[in-house]
Amino acid sequence: MLSTTLANLRAHLPRLVAATLAVVIAVAFVVATLVLNETSRATLLRAAGAEYVGTDVVVTAADGSSLAGAVGAVAAVPGVRAVDPTTAAEVQARFPGRSEAYLQAQAVAADPALRWQRVTDGALPDSPGEIAVATTTEAAVGDVVAVTVYDPATGEATSTGEATVTGLVDLGGDPSAGLFARGFAVADQVAAWGGTEPTELRVAGWNRTDPEALAAAVAPALGFAEVEVRTGEQAAEDAVAGITGNRLALAAVLLVFATVAVLVAGLVIANTLAVLVAQRTRDLALLRCVGATSRQVRRSVLTEAAVTGLVASAVGVGAGVGLAALVSALVGTDSPLPLEGVAVPLYAVGAGLAVGTLTTLLAALGPSRGATRVAPLAALRPVDAAPLRSRGGLLRFGAGLLLVLGGAALMALGVLTVNVYASLAGGTASFLGVVLLAQRAVPPVVAAAGRALGRVGGVPGRMAAGNASRNPRRTAATATALLIGVTLTTAMVVGAASTRATAQAGLDAAYPADVEIGAYGELPASLLPRLEDVDGVAGGTALLGVDVTAPDGQPLWVQGVDAAAATPVLRSTADLTLPAFGEAVLPQWAADSYGLRTGQTLTLQAGERSRALTVVVGDTGLGTPLLSTADLRALVPDATAATLWLRLDDGAGQRDAIEEVTELTGAAVPDAYVTGLASERAAIDSVLDALLLVVTGLLGVAVLIALIGVGNTLALSVVERRQENGLLRAMGLTRGQLRALLAWEAVLVAGVAAVLGVLLGGAYGLIGTASVLGGQDTVLLDVPWLQVGGIVVVATVAGLLASVLPARRAARTAPVAAIAAV
Amino acid sequence: MSVPVMTVPGEPPASVSSAAVRATGLTKVYGSGETAVHALAGVDVAFARGEFTAIMGPSGSGKSTLMHCLAGLDAATSGQVFLGGTELTRLRDDELTRLRRDRIGFVFQAFNLLPVLDARENVVLPMQLAGRRPDPAWFDAVVARLGLRERLRHRPSELSGGQQQRVAIARALLPRPDVVFADEPTGNLDSRSGAEVLDLLRSSVRETGQTVVMVTHDPTAASYADRVVLLADGRPAGEVDRPTAASVLEALRGLGG
Ligand SMILES: Nc1ncnc2c1ncn2[C@@H]1O[C@H](COP(=O)(O)OP(=O)(O)O)[C@@H](O)[C@H]1O
Ligand SMILES: [Mg+2]
Repeated sequence: MLSTTLANLRAHLPRLVAATLAVVIAVAFVVATLVLNETSRATLLRAAGAEYVGTDVVVTAADGSSLAGAVGAVAAVPGVRAVDPTTAAEVQARFPGRSEAYLQAQAVAADPALRWQRVTDGALPDSPGEIAVATTTEAAVGDVVAVTVYDPATGEATSTGEATVTGLVDLGGDPSAGLFARGFAVADQVAAWGGTEPTELRVAGWNRTDPEALAAAVAPALGFAEVEVRTGEQAAEDAVAGITGNRLALAAVLLVFATVAVLVAGLVIANTLAVLVAQRTRDLALLRCVGATSRQVRRSVLTEAAVTGLVASAVGVGAGVGLAALVSALVGTDSPLPLEGVAVPLYAVGAGLAVGTLTTLLAALGPSRGATRVAPLAALRPVDAAPLRSRGGLLRFGAGLLLVLGGAALMALGVLTVNVYASLAGGTASFLGVVLLAQRAVPPVVAAAGRALGRVGGVPGRMAAGNASRNPRRTAATATALLIGVTLTTAMVVGAASTRATAQAGLDAAYPADVEIGAYGELPASLLPRLEDVDGVAGGTALLGVDVTAPDGQPLWVQGVDAAAATPVLRSTADLTLPAFGEAVLPQWAADSYGLRTGQTLTLQAGERSRALTVVVGDTGLGTPLLSTADLRALVPDATAATLWLRLDDGAGQRDAIEEVTELTGAAVPDAYVTGLASERAAIDSVLDALLLVVTGLLGVAVLIALIGVGNTLALSVVERRQENGLLRAMGLTRGQLRALLAWEAVLVAGVAAVLGVLLGGAYGLIGTASVLGGQDTVLLDVPWLQVGGIVVVATVAGLLASVLPARRAARTAPVAAIAAV
Repeated sequence: MSVPVMTVPGEPPASVSSAAVRATGLTKVYGSGETAVHALAGVDVAFARGEFTAIMGPSGSGKSTLMHCLAGLDAATSGQVFLGGTELTRLRDDELTRLRRDRIGFVFQAFNLLPVLDARENVVLPMQLAGRRPDPAWFDAVVARLGLRERLRHRPSELSGGQQQRVAIARALLPRPDVVFADEPTGNLDSRSGAEVLDLLRSSVRETGQTVVMVTHDPTAASYADRVVLLADGRPAGEVDRPTAASVLEALRGLGG
């Protein structure tokens, strides 16, 4: 049986290769994720934990006190070869041609085994007056550095000196390397600069020392308390853990996307295998005729799947490692997530092989059962293209319906109670349900869309509609794979748009003015008209500012606003209270200090004039009490502008407008300050855009796999319909029309999946946003129609592209194929 | 009874002016070198307008190959094929495709119909591919003559073999092609359905002057034709005019088949 299986494999190899591309991509995704995760860990270990990696044991003073007294005791422990007390001095250093800056100078270990620095140029220092510095200081070997030591208590210089650079040390991705300069000198020099008290001892044992055992031996030798004894490896891990709490979360998120990719690949491969088995019905039946048991047939199909899966997974592992290496090379060490080389952990290889092979095997279970149902007599009958009716269909329908309804109820609960977890669970359940129901739901939609297509697509369109509905299960599975990717992408896009809209609304409320201009003195009245003339400034309003006398007799700085003029300038007045005539808006602090509540009366004085105003406690957005302009002028008739609020035109030119406003204002009033909140708005936008881009890229992998599925299904249909296509060609269908037929079929399936996916995804995106942000004051649900439309177009056009190769093959069908022996 | 009428080389037979289809020096070689098969080894043949001709010969004699080359379904290795005044052997694929759908009708032994289309759609398919509308009166006449009026909405899988062949004949006749080619049209049918189909082909020749060329290995089927062209080893091997089953059988025996 095995030889038959292998012969089968060889015969169908080209088609299997196409089919397993889905598995290759999914496995590559999984492996690349794991490898990058491990690489970033290894990079950080080498960088942040470099000084510990090659060390056997590290002794640390838990309270930061000196360990100088312990050096002797540790050195006396049997098995200890060398002890390096790590001392460090903090100095100000001036490199040639630059200004003085902070430098941390660490002692270089006397024992070569305890020297961890990676020297890229020159050598480590071996006498006082010499220093090796980090490459990030951009110094060169031979430079002379002026060093000044300051007394930390008095801030006075205690000593000055010079050190010659003997070497450059590569600190790799050590995050601290970018923050301050680091140097390395011999212990005597570090001591001369004030670094005398070690807080850490690094210990080297003899060759082949077991670090654990050595640590256990060292600990009791340190009689006094408050020390921590760790192995070097442990210390390195701890150092890395301190820096990278978020790395694991990142890996988890990536793995979620990888899971989606694997799921989609599973659907695609299941579909492809089902078609392959169906095509071989006669072969299988012939096998049964000559005496193969149904178990043998099943085993043959499963073996084939296992071999295929294993090979595809192996290719995928290679591709994944390659991908990770590429990403690592592109990202490099100068990034928030430093990467250097690739670290390929065994578990990544194992996981890749296991995931790919198991997915393929699981996907083959259905088709292999189909294969065993082939009756021996089928070999003697002409091929029956009628779709199989699945016994599991009803069960699947029931389960799908249950999941959709239950999931919907959970999501409703999640939205109402603003509970993300309920919505997430509901979303997952309902989506699984949708995938199960798709087998029933998609074919009627395709048929309906096909009827519409038949009207516009001419004969090829009508034929394509018929072909797409003729094997509903296969069409449904192909469409479902694409549906998953499109749904998730749309959900992300809609969710991001709604988040953006809500965040912007929140920003609008918190910072209602696009630009706020203030001054410690007065702002000339001519400034506002000039600023309003600036390109990109939509309008502005001036707030008057004066000192008045508060009820407690103290001076109080208040401002006056004309609510009618200000409202159109402000983005939002949701969090802002603007005073009407006769009202004074008091911030909470002012209300508290005068003991006033809303509705009570505040009396303000300015010279002989005084005015009684109704108190409204609220936010003025300025921190000062706010009156109406009319009330303020009644107190101080010649009050001048203290604050200007400007509104900018929406669009790209905001940054330029802010720059020009700043320039004009600075020229007119040197001590004025300009705050442009528009730029903050833009910053939020760009963060969301970047996130969206990354997520869409990741989901793009799933969509790509699904499209391979579309291409595969079509390619296999072309093989199945060889005779039929030949007949059509004999009847006068031109090559172009035959290609059009396949193209329409692809467009139909991909288009239906895209439209359904967008509808579903849109709903998920809105539900998700509502349940995440429901706690905010205002949740704005936003559907970015352009992007959503773009998704439909891209998926459909990609489906069309997927039909190109199969269509070319179909067009080569000779008309005589129709009449060739069956 | 057999009257072999060999054409004189270089001088076309008298019927050429009215020939619907003719071939000169037609060869077809499959494969190359030692394994080359000369399916057609130089065939000169002509079919008059309004004539019902049967092509006969032992299995493997090149009947199907000849038909494929005459109908523009397959390219000949050398030689010429004319459909009326058009030389098929010079046309490019798209021109050939258009010529097939406009001027040639086909009835095959099996797999004649597209399973996704119903009978009516199958019948009008070639005209639709050409973007032409069938003449309704002619459509009704063809459908009525073939007894398909009640079956037009049925899918091929809902039709018997005889009914399927009748749909295929209707499809072939509808565009009023210059010639209808039929390859073993009764090969898959029981004798009654077969007789029905042959009657229909003959009556289309008698009543509407349709030219029909039919490949068959069945002497009874051949007896419906006006003339039988015999083929052996890829070469013409004589003709039988106004054939009967008995005369055809005898001619075949003469070939040693
Ligand atoms: N596609 C092909 N490839 C190779 N040989 C072929 C092919 N088609 C037909 N032949 C050979 O050409 C000869 C004529 O075949 P055919 O025209 O089908 O004969 P008939 O229809 O008279 O039985 C036979 O020997 C057959 O084996
Ligand atoms: Mg034949």
